[in-house]
Formats: sequence, structure tokens, C-alpha cells
Amino acid sequence: MDPKNLQVLVDVNLKSVAWFYPELWLIFGSMGVFILDLVWRKNRGRVRLLAGATLIVLACSGAALAMQPADAVSLFNGMIATDSFANFWKWLFLAAAALTVVISSGSQEFAPERIGEFFALLLAITLGMFLMASATNLLMIYMAIELVSMVSYVLVGYRRADRKAHEAALKYVIYGGVASGVMLFGMSYLYGLLGTANVTEFAVKLAALSQGFAGAAPGAAAATKLALVLATVFVSAGIGYKVAAVPWHMWCPDVYEGAPTPFTAFLSVGPKAAGFALAIRFFFGAFAGKMGATGLADSVAGIPWPAVVGVISAVTMTLGNLVAVVQTNLKRLLAYSSIAHAGYMLMGLAAVSATGMQSVMIYSAIYLVMNLGAFLVVILVAQSTGSESIFEYRGLARRHPVAAVAFAIFLFSLTGLPPFAGFMGKMYLFYALFERIGIPGGGWYATLALIGALNTAVSLYYYARIIRAMFLDPPYEKAAPVEASPGGQLLLGAFSAFILVFGVWWNPIVNWSARSLQIFRG
Amino acid sequence: MHLTLTHFLVVGALLFALGLVTVVTRRNAVGILMGVELILNGTNVNLAAFNHYVVGGVSGQVFALFVIVLAAAEAAVGLAIVLTIFQSFRSIDVRLADTMRE
Amino acid sequence: MNRTFSKLALWAFLALLVALFLGYFITRVLPDYLPAGRAVPPRLGDLVFYACAAATVAGAAGVAFSRNIVWSCIGLLIALLGTAALYVFLSADFLAVAQLLVYIGGVLVLILFAVMLTNRIGEVNVSNQSLGLGGGLAVFAAVAPLLMLVAVLVPWPVRPPGPMAPTTARIGDEFLSTWLLPFEVASVVLLATLVGAVVMARKELKAD
Repeated sequence: MDPKNLQVLVDVNLKSVAWFYPELWLIFGSMGVFILDLVWRKNRGRVRLLAGATLIVLACSGAALAMQPADAVSLFNGMIATDSFANFWKWLFLAAAALTVVISSGSQEFAPERIGEFFALLLAITLGMFLMASATNLLMIYMAIELVSMVSYVLVGYRRADRKAHEAALKYVIYGGVASGVMLFGMSYLYGLLGTANVTEFAVKLAALSQGFAGAAPGAAAATKLALVLATVFVSAGIGYKVAAVPWHMWCPDVYEGAPTPFTAFLSVGPKAAGFALAIRFFFGAFAGKMGATGLADSVAGIPWPAVVGVISAVTMTLGNLVAVVQTNLKRLLAYSSIAHAGYMLMGLAAVSATGMQSVMIYSAIYLVMNLGAFLVVILVAQSTGSESIFEYRGLARRHPVAAVAFAIFLFSLTGLPPFAGFMGKMYLFYALFERIGIPGGGWYATLALIGALNTAVSLYYYARIIRAMFLDPPYEKAAPVEASPGGQLLLGAFSAFILVFGVWWNPIVNWSARSLQIFRG
Repeated sequence: MHLTLTHFLVVGALLFALGLVTVVTRRNAVGILMGVELILNGTNVNLAAFNHYVVGGVSGQVFALFVIVLAAAEAAVGLAIVLTIFQSFRSIDVRLADTMRE
Repeated sequence: MNRTFSKLALWAFLALLVALFLGYFITRVLPDYLPAGRAVPPRLGDLVFYACAAATVAGAAGVAFSRNIVWSCIGLLIALLGTAALYVFLSADFLAVAQLLVYIGGVLVLILFAVMLTNRIGEVNVSNQSLGLGGGLAVFAAVAPLLMLVAVLVPWPVRPPGPMAPTTARIGDEFLSTWLLPFEVASVVLLATLVGAVVMARKELKAD
């Protein structure tokens, strides 16, 4: 290569570092925690020390993120982009990681001598999610997904001598490997059809490709469309697997049940949100280009993609909710509920509008808090009773009123009842749909909204079953007393306060997401 | 006729399809991981072929190299998990034998 | 011994079938769809390509259809070797060597290890349903023709390929310029995975 060109490329890399400090903190912090884990090996309070160190790393990363120049720029020769959209998600990921660190340092599911590696690997996953939210190159997308996935495989099987955990890890590795392989195969076709791996160039190249249809033989045009459709379907398999949408959800219940509960909580909010960030950037940002009125609809092979996403959304939430009804293990129940919530969020994606994307962002932020809160109660109860069965929740209101009330708040919020924050999030998702009903050919959005509303009613049934067990059923004679540490109670209170406050005063979160809609499009 | 892009794409497609078949028919974890390797190889053939015939430069080859690296890492994690399961099977058996003796 | 022979014969037969299919497909079906479909006598290089491609696909078929996991492993070895040979035809010499070193030297040895270690207790099964041979053939019949159709019919924007030239220096330059970030992230991925694999597989460590 010509040395002069090389110099230009290297200069771009050097300049890009100025926007890369949050990620650098995570990388070096992760290594630092590995080392500290060895240094403090014989220290009595090593769990607290390591958790503190991890939180400091996350805080430094957050500080670097806050101080970052707020421009939308492409970094490292088109590998990733930084923009307010990516920053929004990065804050969510930092929050999810920090809360998971706090929750797991108080959990007994991790042996103290193994928790250092858990924290360090958690930082590595956070880095992967950062990259997922900002990747603008096919290779970076694949790498970011693999970084998140491969570390997740290990952390799912983190409990020693637990067959369920190992089986869950095995299942996860197999489904994950297949999904990412299929996604990669789709990417190879995109690379060949469009002649580039840079996602920000896709819109232009797609337009050129579509114009080429006019002169080509009819068979050739049809085949090109088929190739585009196959590539898109394959790529969405990889993304759908990350957000656990039907039909790529099969791993979800087993993995959620087998993983250590703090990590299950993290999986349900972190990588899922990262999957949505990736989906929005990839399909809404890149494929749609300078987005016309119908967004995606014109750009890829004449397939009504919003309707396809709508069907997936409807099937995902219906299946998640219906299967959740018969679950008695709370971890499995929350797994199916998280599948259903992925379906709700897909409604916002199906709307392919700025409001739709904003509603997905708002819902992800609220879902983060309410789902982590719900899992925190499950952890507290399981620590006292040793089981995640719904029968352990009988009479929880008398055995531990704080936990019961907090759990009720989280469950009502997950259902989407006012005046909790979940209501506000769901309202925005439906609002995005209603906005689209008026456009020509948008009548099916009304059907989707109706299915969403029906699903909310179904979900009320199984959430209310838990609440009835907690408040109306008497406790068992020999039910173990539920104990929660002051820290755990404080955390429950903070989560509940968040849900209650943002249930009535939602302006800050809405304004923040509205400011974060700027996506780098090349 | 001489070699064209299509020749390589056909091989890549066959590798991918056979990899998928392996994944859906096998119940053995190691076997499924082999199927994943086939899928990744099909992808790599596609990438190298597109790079040679369509895109030019070496970007496709670099992409394929990264895929090889990540596939190796994934195989390492997958097989570590398989071995752990194998160990826990054995240890479970041993413990079972102990309790029976008491 | 007899069973081994009959198996080998079956394999050879399968490989022959695949080679025949490929040969037929490429010489008879393809030219109708390609603009420059004039009959050209095959060159030696092309024949070598067909041999490699047939070996690759036959190996892959072995992975997919063999009931014995050791035979699957050997099939994978053949498929990986054949793929490495195909890279040479695409003027990807560095890729071919990396394939040999990493895939065959690393991944395949790992897989063989796992097979040898776990074979004695039978199969480590994933507790999910798997389709039988019929389901597998159905998947193949659904996916393969579709992808072949794409490969054959799409008017790929082909341009005259450059001359065969060593690519190693070029790839080195690109790794440290355009693809610097993936290069560095790959090292993070490897570090995290290696630590993870060790954490998974090591014996219990006591704190003291």
C-alpha cells in the first residue's frame, strides 16, 4: 500500500481515540480487575473491594462518556460511530452493569474466590455492548455480538457443579454459535451484493442496486431480490437471537433458569437492549438511508419489512405471555415475560418512525429498572428459601412487607398499569403505532395495537397470580423467614422510587431520548 | 468453462447447507459445533470469493481472517463447556455411588 | 473390518455422486445462464479446482450424515483442507495458511480432543429435539437450491480479478490501518474467552 495513504489511515485512528475513552476505561479496567483479583486473593473483604473497584471503573467510563464531545462522527475508518444515539444506550449499559455488580456482590450465588473474574468478564461484556450500539461495519457488528455472546456463555455456566447451569451454558453456546454463523453468512451476501462492509454506505449502494433492476433480465432482478431477502433474514436471525424474539427464543427460558440469577437479570436487560440498539442502527439507520416517509419499506427488495417485524412482534409477545401463564418457577416466568417484552419493543421497531425508535429507547430504560428490581426480589427470596418456586411467595406480605410491596410495584409496572413507569413506556409504544395507522396501507398497525392490548391483559393474569400469592394467600406453616440486607432493601426502595417517580413525571426521560435520536448515517 | 465467482458461491452455499443439516440432525454437542464450523467455512469461501471477483483489495480476506480467529475462540469456549459437562457427569456418578454405599 | 470397508465404499460413492452432481451442474446447467457460456476445454487448474471442491463438499456431507463422530471429524478435516485449497484459487494465500494453522492445527485438534475424551461415555447430548435424517434432508432440500439459485442467477457486479499476488504484506498493512479497531477488539475477545474457558474448565480453587 502507498505509504502516504497508510499515513492518512493511521492518523484517523489516532484522532479517533479522543472519542474512545469510555471503551478504553472498560478494557483496561477489565484487565485491572483480573490483576486485583489475584492481588486480593487472600483478603477477607475481597468481594467488597473488587465490587468497589469495578464500580470505580464503570464510574470512570461514565465520566469519560459525559465529557465526550457530542458530535456524530465516524471513528477508526468507519468501524464504529459515536453519536447521541449510541451515548444513550451506553448510559443504559453502564447502569445495567453497575446495578448487576451491586446485586451480585450481595448474592450468595457466587463463591467469593470466583467473583473477581465475574466482575472483569462483566466489564468485557459491557465493552461488547458499547460496540454493539455503535458498530457501523459488518465485521464490527459480528465481533461485538461475539464478544457479548462468548463471555455470556461462560458466565451462564458459572455455578460450579451445577448440571442445570452447565446444560444451560451448552444450550446457549450451541444456539448462539448457529445464530451468529447464519448471521455471518447473510453478511457475506450483503458484502458481495453491495461491495462494501461499511453499513453507512448501504443506503446509497442499495439505491444503486435497485436502479440496476430496470435494465436487467427479469430473472436476474428476482434473484437479486431473493438474495437481499435471504441476507436480511439471516442477519436478523443473529439480532433476533440477541433480543430473544420468536422464532429465535428457544434458548431463553433454559438459559435464564440455569444462569446465576444476578447474571440472568443482566442478560434480560443488557444484551437485549444492545440487540435493539443494533437493530435500530442497522435497519433504521443504515438501510433506510435518509429515510423517506415509509422508511425501510422501499429500500430492501420491495418486501413490506415493517409488516414482517409486526408479525414477529405479535407472535413473540403472544407466545411469551401464553407460556408464562403456566410457569411456576419465577425465573422461567420472568424469562417468558422478557420474551413478551421483546415483542412489545418490536412494536416500536415495526412503526419505523422516529417516535417508534424513541419509544423503544424509553421502554428499554424503564424495563431495565423494573426487571432488575423484579429479579432482585427473586434473589432475596431465593437466598432465604433456596427456591424460586411461586409457592415460596405465599404470604410474603407478612413475612417481608418491603419486598412484597416492591415486587408488587415492579409487577404492576411490568404489566403497564398506571401510575407506574411501565405504563408510560407502553403508552409511547402504542402511541408510535397509532401515529402510523393514518398513513396509506397502515391499517394493520391497528391490529398490531389490538394484539398488544390483549397481551397486556393476559400478562396481568400471571403477574396478578404472584401478587395474589404474596398478599392474599397465608404463608406455609414452615415457611422460612425472608431476610434482606439493609443494602438490598435500600436498592429495592430506590428501584421502586424510580418506577413511581417516572410513572408520573416522565418528561426527563422522554426529553433525553428525543435528544438522542441523532444517528450517524455517513 | 473457466472458474467464475459462481463456482465458489456454489461451494459456499453447499457448505452452509450441509452445516445447517448437521446442526439440525445431530444431538451430540461436539457434532453440532462441527456443523457451526462448516457454516463459518461456507461464509469464508463466500467472503474470499467476493473479495477476489467483486470488491478487490483484501477487505474480504481480512474479514475471513477475523472469522477464523473468532471461530477458534468459540470452539474453545464450546469445548470447555462440553468438557465441564463431561466432568460433572462423572462426578455426579461418583457421588451417587458414595451415597449408595452409606 | 468389513463394516469399515462398506462404510468407506459408501463414502466414496457419496463423494462420487457429489462430484458428478457438481460437474453436471457446472458444465450443463450453468452455461445457459452465463453470458460467456461457450464451451471451453477445461484447463488443468480448473480440474484441480473441481477435485478440491468435490473433496470439500464430500467432507462436509460426511460431517452431516455420518453417524460416527470420529468419521465426522475426518470429514471435517477433509472439508477444511479442501477449503484451504480453494482459498489458493482466490489468490488468498495468507488466508489458506491461516486456515491450515488455526483451523486444522487448532480447532480440529481441540474437537478431536473433545471427541476422544467424551466418546467413552457415549454421546454428550443436548436435551433438545433434533430432526432425524429425513428432517435433515428436508432442510438441505429447502436451503441448498435457494442458495444455488442465488449464486447462479444474480448478476454479480463482477470485475476482472487482479493477477495472483502474495497478499501477506497488504493484509499486514490493513490490519494496522483500516482494521485496527477490530484487530484490537479481537485481542480483548481472545483474552476474555481464554480466561472464561479456564474458569469453566479448571478444578475448584480454594481461597486459601
